[in-house]
Formats: sequence, structure tokens, C-alpha cells
Amino acid sequence: MPKSKAPGRLIAVEGTRQSDLMEAGAEVLRAADGARTRGGVSVWDASGIFFELSRSTDTAAVPSAKTLLLLYASDLVFRLRWEIQPALNQGLTVVAAPYLQTAFAAGVAAGVPKQWIANLFDFAPRPDATFRTREKDGYAGWTGKRKGGFCEFVCASLGSLSDKVDQAELRARMVAYLDKLERGSQYRTVTPKVLKKVAAR
Amino acid sequence: MHLTAAAKALKRSMRELLATLEKKRGLLIAFEGPDGAGKTTQRKLFKTWLKGEGHKVVTSKWNSSELLKSLIKTRKTIHALNPREFCLLHAADYRHRLETEILPALCSGQNVICDRYFFTALARDAARGLDVDWVLKLYTPLLWPDVVFYFSVSAETSSKRVMAERTPHFYEAGQDTTNIEDPQASYRQFMGRIIQQYGALALVFQFVTIDAEMSIYEQHKMIRKLFLEGRRRSWTEFNAESVMDWLATRPEVQLAQE
Repeated sequence: MPKSKAPGRLIAVEGTRQSDLMEAGAEVLRAADGARTRGGVSVWDASGIFFELSRSTDTAAVPSAKTLLLLYASDLVFRLRWEIQPALNQGLTVVAAPYLQTAFAAGVAAGVPKQWIANLFDFAPRPDATFRTREKDGYAGWTGKRKGGFCEFVCASLGSLSDKVDQAELRARMVAYLDKLERGSQYRTVTPKVLKKVAAR
Repeated sequence: MHLTAAAKALKRSMRELLATLEKKRGLLIAFEGPDGAGKTTQRKLFKTWLKGEGHKVVTSKWNSSELLKSLIKTRKTIHALNPREFCLLHAADYRHRLETEILPALCSGQNVICDRYFFTALARDAARGLDVDWVLKLYTPLLWPDVVFYFSVSAETSSKRVMAERTPHFYEAGQDTTNIEDPQASYRQFMGRIIQQYGALALVFQFVTIDAEMSIYEQHKMIRKLFLEGRRRSWTEFNAESVMDWLATRPEVQLAQE
């Protein structure tokens, strides 16, 4: 997965809850660009695929994790084409919140082989920097809703597929995946200290 | 150690389930070929014949899942898809049909005729310039059909047959990739590329090739003959990974088998 050759800067923010991602995405962009923010935050479902799916109430047609990952990838192609790449080409900073690791976390937690996911996202440019969010409320209060972000959508969808799928356990596995990457120093949680460092670069 | 033992036990029970399914499953038959080759006509004749022979038969058409059909159609109408989005949405549609229509029908003993299968994606997406290896991996683990009938026709015949009825649609004509304004000219060029890809796939994947320039009746007779001469493809040998992958994501299927 090569880095984009465009002059702009691509920063990924990963996490399991959409509201945290939105907030952290804006904070990271402010820190990266300073007061003269000209870049932007690219959020999931810019193509509206998941919005349309969320209107479907037919439980017999619940998509599997692999189907949802294919749709996430399609949405990401849309975001890269219309939001991310044009801004990078202009030399701007783009914060993608979420980007690739959120999809990996959701997929691996649902039992999809990592290699399959890696092939799926082979087209996406490697970000210049990656950060993550932690859910502020901890584990309490988690409910997978299709109107949330990708991880929430996956939990809600797979949870409605069968009583055997425990949403809380699924979500814990997503968080554990992101924790493992953080322990491996692949990225850090967005904190005021980290934001200061982003601003200093 | 405890987890490993549990995982082993699960794997063993999945294999036993697979062996049970293998005995009672239906056949998976794919009809492939370019537009205008006469696949749909032959598929209907074949289905009627199979039913007449006392078999249970269902059809699964390309790009027809209840989940994504209208979503894809809308985006095609407004020409909103680039080749990669086109590819990924069709892969999602196939995956959903595979998991919710094709495999459940096969496992309940019904024969499934697919009017286009994932080979369509390989031919079209490669013709659009995408890396065929990347596309193929999207469809893994592959569920191999028992037989693939490939309706071989020239780009010229395909163009004549399609254009006798209508002007090809934007994506059908490959206008997203040829950049040719005239849909008919674009179709001819794009169909040439698709047929070239199909030719390679037919060799690699050992399709049963039907000369689609023959009369409808001759083709139908040949399909019957070839079908009767054909063999079931062993699931345990060819499709274990694919079926077990599906069973693992569909706990309710295991319950139904218990």
C-alpha cells in the first residue's frame, strides 16, 4: 500500500464510535492546520450506501461482515475520488475519520481473515499519520445502532442476524484490535498532548 | 489449550455438517458469456427441462439481490460509479446472494442456475482495467459451480443482437472506460475486450463452451447432453473453505441442521 504522491497530508483517525471520530477528526484537523484551516474531514458514508441500507428493515436480508466490508470499500473509493484525493492534490490536509484500521477492526472482530481485508483495501493510499479515539464512556452504554458509524453498523447488523452474535463481545473485540495496534506503536490515541505534537509538526 | 480443543471440536463438527450437506445438496450451474449470447433464453429452456425431469430449480440472476439491486441501479442511472466502485458493489451483491440465496437453496437440495456468476465480474472488471488478481480475491473463498456453460459468440454477433433491440446502456457499453461518446461504437470496442477476457477465463477455469452462433434448439440439445455427461464437483474437495466460511457466519444454519 503506497503513500499518495499528492502534495497534501492524509491523516487517519480510527475508532469504534462515530461521535468520537467526528469530534477527534475536527480536533486533529485544527491542530494540523492551525487557525487557517483549509483542509477537511472526510467521514464515512459520503456515498450514502449505508444510509440507504439502514432504511431497509427486512431482517431476512441482513448482510454479512464481508458484504459490509465490500460496501465500506466502495464508500471509501467514493471518498477518495471526490473528497480526499482532490484535496491532497491541492496540497491540503485531509483527516479521514474513519479510514482503514476501523474497517480492519470491525472485520477481524467478525472473523473475516485479515489477509482478505488487506487485499480489499490494497487500492487505498497509506496515510501520513494515524491516530485513534477511545470511547469516552468506556464499555457502558454501548448499543450498536445502524445510524452510528461503521463499527456500530456492523454490530447492529450482525447482532440482528442471530441471537448467537453478542454485540458487546463483538465490539470488545474491535476495541481489542485497535488496542493491540496501539501497543505495537502503530498509532496513538488523540489526547491534548498528542494534538500539541501534531500542531508542532 | 482449552480454546484450541474447542476450536478443533468446532472444525470437526463443521466438517461433519459439510459431509451431510454434500449428500443432499443441489447442483450449482453457471451460465456465462457476453451480452447477446443467448444465455437467458438457454437458461429458461434448461430450467424448464430440469423441472420436467423432476428436479427442484431456482435461478439467481446477476445484480439482483434485494439488498443492493436498487442502490446499484440508481448509481448506474446517474453514471456515478467509477470502475472500482462498480466492481465492489457487484462483488457485494454477489456475496449477499451467495450467502442468502444460493448456498441456502443448494443446501436445501435445490439446483441453482446462475444467470452469470463471478466470472462475469472477472471479465468485465478486467476489461475495465482493474487487476484481475485483486478482483478474484474479492470473491474468495470461491464457491465452484458443478458446471459452467460458456456461450461463445463474436463481438460482432453480440453487437448485432443487442443493437437490434436497443441502444446499449452506459455501463453495458463500457462508456465509463472507453470514453467513446457513441454507445454503439463503445459497445463494440468494450465487448471485444470482454470476449478476450472470457476466452482466457474459459481456458483457465475449464468452462464447457457452447457455440452460441448455433440455433437455439441445437444449443439446448447440447446443454442437455453435456449436463447429463457432467460430474458433481465434490464440495469437500473444492468448496469446503467456501461453505465453512458461510456456515461460520450463519449460526442459524447450524441450528437448522441440528
